[in-house]
Amino acid sequence: MKRIGWDHILFRAINLLLIGFLLLPIGIVLLFAFNSAAFIVFPPEGFSLRWFKAFFIHPEFMRAFWLSLRLAATTVIISTVTGTMAAMAIVRGRIPGAKFISALFLSPLMLPAIITGLALFQFYVILDVGRTYTGLLIGHIIVTIPYVIRTTTALLYNFDGSVEEAARNLGAGELATFWYITLPLIRPGVIAGSVFAFIVSFDQFPVSLFLVQPGINTLPIQLFNYLKYSFDPTVAAAATVSIALSVTVVLLLERTIGLQEYVKL
Amino acid sequence: MGHEESLDITSTKTPSIGPFSSRKRRLIKYYLLLLPALLLFFFFFIIPLAVVALVSLLTGNPVNDPDVALTLKNYAKLFSDIYYLDVLLVTLRIGLYTTLVCLVIGYPLAYQMARMKSKNLRTLMLMAVLSPMLIGIVIRTYAWMTLLSDQGVINSTLKNLGLIKEPLKLMYNEFGICLALVHIFAPFMVLTLTGVIGKIDLRLEEAARNLGASKLRTFIEVTLPLSAPGIMGGSLLVFALAISSYVTPILMGGFTIITLPILIYQQISGVFNFGFAGTLGLILMIVSLAIVFLYHRVMSRVVGGVGV
Repeated sequence: MKRIGWDHILFRAINLLLIGFLLLPIGIVLLFAFNSAAFIVFPPEGFSLRWFKAFFIHPEFMRAFWLSLRLAATTVIISTVTGTMAAMAIVRGRIPGAKFISALFLSPLMLPAIITGLALFQFYVILDVGRTYTGLLIGHIIVTIPYVIRTTTALLYNFDGSVEEAARNLGAGELATFWYITLPLIRPGVIAGSVFAFIVSFDQFPVSLFLVQPGINTLPIQLFNYLKYSFDPTVAAAATVSIALSVTVVLLLERTIGLQEYVKL
Repeated sequence: MGHEESLDITSTKTPSIGPFSSRKRRLIKYYLLLLPALLLFFFFFIIPLAVVALVSLLTGNPVNDPDVALTLKNYAKLFSDIYYLDVLLVTLRIGLYTTLVCLVIGYPLAYQMARMKSKNLRTLMLMAVLSPMLIGIVIRTYAWMTLLSDQGVINSTLKNLGLIKEPLKLMYNEFGICLALVHIFAPFMVLTLTGVIGKIDLRLEEAARNLGASKLRTFIEVTLPLSAPGIMGGSLLVFALAISSYVTPILMGGFTIITLPILIYQQISGVFNFGFAGTLGLILMIVSLAIVFLYHRVMSRVVGGVGV
């Protein structure tokens, strides 16, 4: 550890290359989003915002972008509320079979999302309701609830409930206890869970693939369909906007609870 | 125990309710908290999955076909047709290659990250490894397409330099699919491995070194065996993710290579064969769940467990 040998340097160099490999696609996307050329050429030709303009005036992209935002926002609200409630019941309720229930709620994480999508689609067809916005929303809620439950239960297990008892003993009502005592204590878990839920919903592909209404696509589906036929940097601009959105969300997270905390969960 | 005591104190405020009914009331309250999520999962997760399993065993669509009967024909079809067996084989092969490469590139990264002294550098490295995960899967695949396609960055650069005449076949084949999948799933491998390597007692390595073992021998005989659960866990995780991915194989394969998830979607969008789609889905589900089960078995042996 005191002396840095050549093997150490070689090892670091390899890792630097590997990190380069991991970061390369982000760099490429940013490069082509701001490049003026209509084709992917290397080296790039010049700086331009024309692809951003192309993205923001493209009616189908815009419709898909707003649908994805609206869907993700609605998903986050419903998943966070129902997920936090369920986490409270699982950890504090001493309900028989709590372990099984918890495993059930986490299982969409283990199951390939394409199967969740397929199952919901078949179910809707058999019920004869077809593909609706609500149906799509339910699919997104099912695949995002596990994140909220996982991060929130982790924090609820961190403290044993004696603080809550103290508040109750001092005469606080149940809602007041939850609002002033429990919620502030589990807030990092709830926030981390809802951030995960947002990102997972906004980038969701397999579930949306089966459940989007014909012609009304979410952004990832719209990008995918566009890529089937065309390859121009509009997609890079759309990607840059998505990346900016994700980074903003994560920076907010870093500001509020710190990245280390979020990774540990 | 403290909890029971407090319940007694609260119940003295409402003397009409004895300890038994107060416990019952408490349970009801928690059941109510659980109810919305439980109902959602029952109606929109458990029942739909049961429907998939059921429909795969029926002769037709129960909605419009009144004389449906039970059958195993969908399963017979899958295992008797060479085309479908080939799809399974391709899917497993892509999963295997992706897993092996992820392991090879994930291990050194995880090792360095687990052993880093500086907390700031560690956070920075963690961010570098995790940041690709923040980008949607379609976009990451697009990035690889811009690099590897026939008119992509690599081919056009080599052409301009006069090194090649015909573009190199970097995508529209299994190589391209695996490369992009490796990039997408490597962070999962790194995270799993870092957790396990970080828990290895450094004194064991020091002891080996003090007893005269070389650095390499210490690594091979001490560190590597102790990180086996991470290697197993990370590999299982990446394999399960790789065999169930859809976007990357279809775009990187240029719609020519068919994997299991692609076949499942084709059965719905192309031929509307619910029964066979269900059969394929069920096979993928069983394989994935078996892998997840193994993953948990392996990771639970690591002290304290490791979450991904």
